[in-house]
Amino acid sequence: MKRLVILAAFAMLVGPAVAHHGWGSYDAAHPITVTGPILTSKFENPHATLTVRGSDKVWTVTLAPTSRMTSRGALAAVVAVGKTVSAYGYPSTAEKDEMRAERIIVDGKTYEMR
Amino acid sequence: MEHQAPALFVALEGSGLAAAIRQSLFLYPLANVGHIVALVCFAGAIAVMDLRLVGAFAATVPALVIARARRVVIAALCVLAVTGFMLFAAEASHVVLNPVFQLKMALVAVGLVNVAIYEWGAQGAVYALPAGAAMPRRARIAGFISLGLWLAVAACGRSIAYF
Repeated sequence: MKRLVILAAFAMLVGPAVAHHGWGSYDAAHPITVTGPILTSKFENPHATLTVRGSDKVWTVTLAPTSRMTSRGALAAVVAVGKTVSAYGYPSTAEKDEMRAERIIVDGKTYEMR
Repeated sequence: MEHQAPALFVALEGSGLAAAIRQSLFLYPLANVGHIVALVCFAGAIAVMDLRLVGAFAATVPALVIARARRVVIAALCVLAVTGFMLFAAEASHVVLNPVFQLKMALVAVGLVNVAIYEWGAQGAVYALPAGAAMPRRARIAGFISLGLWLAVAACGRSIAYF
């Protein structure tokens, strides 16, 4: 019984580590830059998200927690609908047409998201 | 995936409370930090209880050690439930479909059933024991199960974000 429980607990701890994603579910080997007008903007936790009309398609751009964005000056008004954003980051390997931004440029100013 | 979630969870995510949690700069991080701090308190106190049940700290009177740790466990569990609900509500329609979240909730349910079985079937006998007495078999089993389950619950909790 004891051995079984310890084994089961170990399996539970190790299993998730093997399937770990995080930034790992984004393809850092193939960074992209999505530039275009912001169509929708959600300045919300756990991550702010935009939809941006890129040159090829509409991308969902995942940004950072709102408190971090605020402390770096990337306020809701900066990533508002209608602004033009250039987002450098990595395409998702899990979600279609989604990318996570390493940094964004709005009105010539660069904001780090990580 | 959102359309697959039961209406209850879509409604929860769409509620004013959930929107307030998402839109506030501090509520979501506060719930996140509160959840992990409560988890640390919970884990520490439940380890004391469970280790005593499986026979550690044999020189102590079981009832004294367990009853005190139990109060901390209950308080921490209340904070975990409130902060966990806040984190869940903010993204309910996605999280409810997350397989690791579902596993975590199932393990929590099993953990609470384990608590109920122990408290109904073994706690009386354990509380009557003097220092140094051998623990009844059912108390040791409950302690082992509890240790394994809550560690697994913690591992699942941290893993939700990666599935």
